[in-house]
Amino acid sequence: MNPSDRHLRFGWWSLFAFLALGVVLETLHGFKLGWYLDVDQEMRRLMFTLAHAHGTLLALVNIAAGLTLRTVKGFELEKKASLALLWGSVLLPAGFFLGGLVIHDGDPGIGVLLVPVGALLLLYGVGTAARAMGKVK
Amino acid sequence: MTRVLLVGLAWAAVMIGITVLSARWQIEPPKNRPIKSLTPEYASSDSCRSCHPGNYASWHASFHRTMTQVASVDNIPPSMNGLDMTYQGVEYRVERKGPAYFARSRPAGGTDADFGQPQEIVLLTGSHNLQLYWMESGKARTLANFPFAYVVAEKKWAPMEQTFLVEPGPKQVYGSDDWNTACYNCHVTQGRSRFVSAGKYDSQVSEFGISCEACHSGGREHIEQNRNPLRRFALHWSGRPDQTIANPSRMDGPASSLVCGQCHSIWAFKNPEAEIPWSYTGAQYRPGKRELDSRWVVQPQGLDHPQQRAALMKEDPDFMSQRFWGDGMVRVTGRELNATMASPCYKGGKFSCLSCHEMHPAKTDAATLTAWATQGMMKTELTSDQTCLQCHPKFQAAAALTAHTHHKIDSSGSNCYNCHLPHTTYGLLRAIRSHQVSSPTVRESVELGRPNACNLCHLDQSLAWTAEKMTEWYKQKSPALSPDDHTLSAGVQWLLRGDAEQRLLVAWSMGWAPAQSASGHDWLYPYLVFELNDPYAAVRFAAWKSLQTLPGFSGYEFDYTMDDARQKEALARAYQKWWFEVRDKNGGYRAQTMLEPAGLFQQELFDRMLDHRNHRKVYLAE
Repeated sequence: MNPSDRHLRFGWWSLFAFLALGVVLETLHGFKLGWYLDVDQEMRRLMFTLAHAHGTLLALVNIAAGLTLRTVKGFELEKKASLALLWGSVLLPAGFFLGGLVIHDGDPGIGVLLVPVGALLLLYGVGTAARAMGKVK
Repeated sequence: MTRVLLVGLAWAAVMIGITVLSARWQIEPPKNRPIKSLTPEYASSDSCRSCHPGNYASWHASFHRTMTQVASVDNIPPSMNGLDMTYQGVEYRVERKGPAYFARSRPAGGTDADFGQPQEIVLLTGSHNLQLYWMESGKARTLANFPFAYVVAEKKWAPMEQTFLVEPGPKQVYGSDDWNTACYNCHVTQGRSRFVSAGKYDSQVSEFGISCEACHSGGREHIEQNRNPLRRFALHWSGRPDQTIANPSRMDGPASSLVCGQCHSIWAFKNPEAEIPWSYTGAQYRPGKRELDSRWVVQPQGLDHPQQRAALMKEDPDFMSQRFWGDGMVRVTGRELNATMASPCYKGGKFSCLSCHEMHPAKTDAATLTAWATQGMMKTELTSDQTCLQCHPKFQAAAALTAHTHHKIDSSGSNCYNCHLPHTTYGLLRAIRSHQVSSPTVRESVELGRPNACNLCHLDQSLAWTAEKMTEWYKQKSPALSPDDHTLSAGVQWLLRGDAEQRLLVAWSMGWAPAQSASGHDWLYPYLVFELNDPYAAVRFAAWKSLQTLPGFSGYEFDYTMDDARQKEALARAYQKWWFEVRDKNGGYRAQTMLEPAGLFQQELFDRMLDHRNHRKVYLAE
């Protein structure tokens, strides 16, 4: 599978998954579930909201990356950078989501440790893409 | 293009400059009232919120938070605007000006020119039962007492003295600088009186109201240490207690109870000199300690602190009687540690306030928190009996409980609290449950005058009836009883010839649903109506509120603060209403209730009871 297809396919499925998460969160609102909405669950709500927002946004970034690879002549993304972008798009929202599953008062659960790893991978992937775009004539 | 860029840059520079400068401007703290000023150890509840949102929410919903509030249009009832009341020859008028309320006073009947300088209402104590107000005094941060209180449930303004159980007549419950010398001790977090000169104080508090750090100790170090996420996660995973903060739920019974008891107790300074550093630096006691540092919990009996106890009695011979029954059981509310310490359960070392109460319910939705806060902050997961059954599981079996209580399993007589924590404490214009776990006896009523739990429910029964049951069920030896105690209702006797506290406890119990269910309510009317003219305002209030619980008198209006002549008129009207509209025309009133079959008082008995009424001056220092 070429990088363009990979990012587009991942992006659209990821968009589907995180929009679905949004629907789940709305449902939790709809049924006023204390597990998500109570004041002492503030951290869970924050984590899930961040997972939804980042997951959706990063899905769009991947779609944009795929379209850019497909349409901009001369634009190439190293495989390492492409994988970093993909894994960052998985780990960062997954970290927020897992961090919200188990919370400790005002602290998220251990899953949140995936967030900085994902963030670093994203920075590498996006930074590399930006640099590659700069080289396009 | 360049010009646009330059203008934009100049505009941005100006905005940044204004922003930076505005950060340096500080709003001057008010000079006419105590102010919030943190000591190095304290960080205030604002700092706790982000990490402990659930606990913050439950605290925020509690009445601890609003125990003292800076006066504002949000917490002062709108009816204070335009308030015009006269008490003891002085007329007080309050007006709202912008966001503040100001009180002026003049001799009653004076002209507008006689009004003194307006004094701003700056602070209030209490929020859900009674609100007391404090005014600027013109002497630094010293506060003067506004002489009227607001009875929240009744939406009624009443002279301060008439919200206490205090002998009728001119008596000032609060002095001129009592907030700065007494109230600040417990109604704020880490208050400092800061004496300046005679009658002048520069008082400061770490937080108005009772906040997180009152129970968990100063949080500054806790916050600093826990900025490190690795430390926090290590604590989460290990489950170990965080040594940088106190947690009463992890303490043993006595230490945990003392956290509440630092305020909820009758305490005194160990020596007069101890009050001086206290007034400048605040309490030295910190949650987790086993003693109150420079103070001691005053129990009337015991071998501890003999010199202090003797000194206290020498200075104020009425100190104990204004606070304790003759056997040492505390009789005023707000002093629950004294009662808890005297309970047999306390001696096991595990029993504490948190055995029955909780400060942070697991559920934090608004409905749960409102119910929890308004129902005495009881453990939300347990029913009343379950709190006792935690340590007394043998009564979980219905048969065992019935055999113990001799009452039907689903009756109020089978409820642990009703027998072992009866309403024999006074405070906030009503009877409140004793917090000393005890078993009812007739002896306590005969020897101490304290209504026993049985007759507070079975108001229509005599002491002899109770004594017989206690002998039969629990092998209690009956004390010597008078002829009246054999034939007449104990409740009526306490109401007619008891002292003011006995009268209040019985008048309140007459409105208590379990008592009405056990002893009937038809015969209660004439007594409650009669007590609308009791000399003590608090007794009148209790009688009126109980009267309102009876059919035909729901919502009945009565101003318990009015003068004697108008009270008598109101009494006559209420009696007529009962006699002609509500009374059971078939009669059948029982002789033991001191009523004729048709409902009239048995006049000779009634008069004899009143002739023997205990007129001792009662003042309960709640």
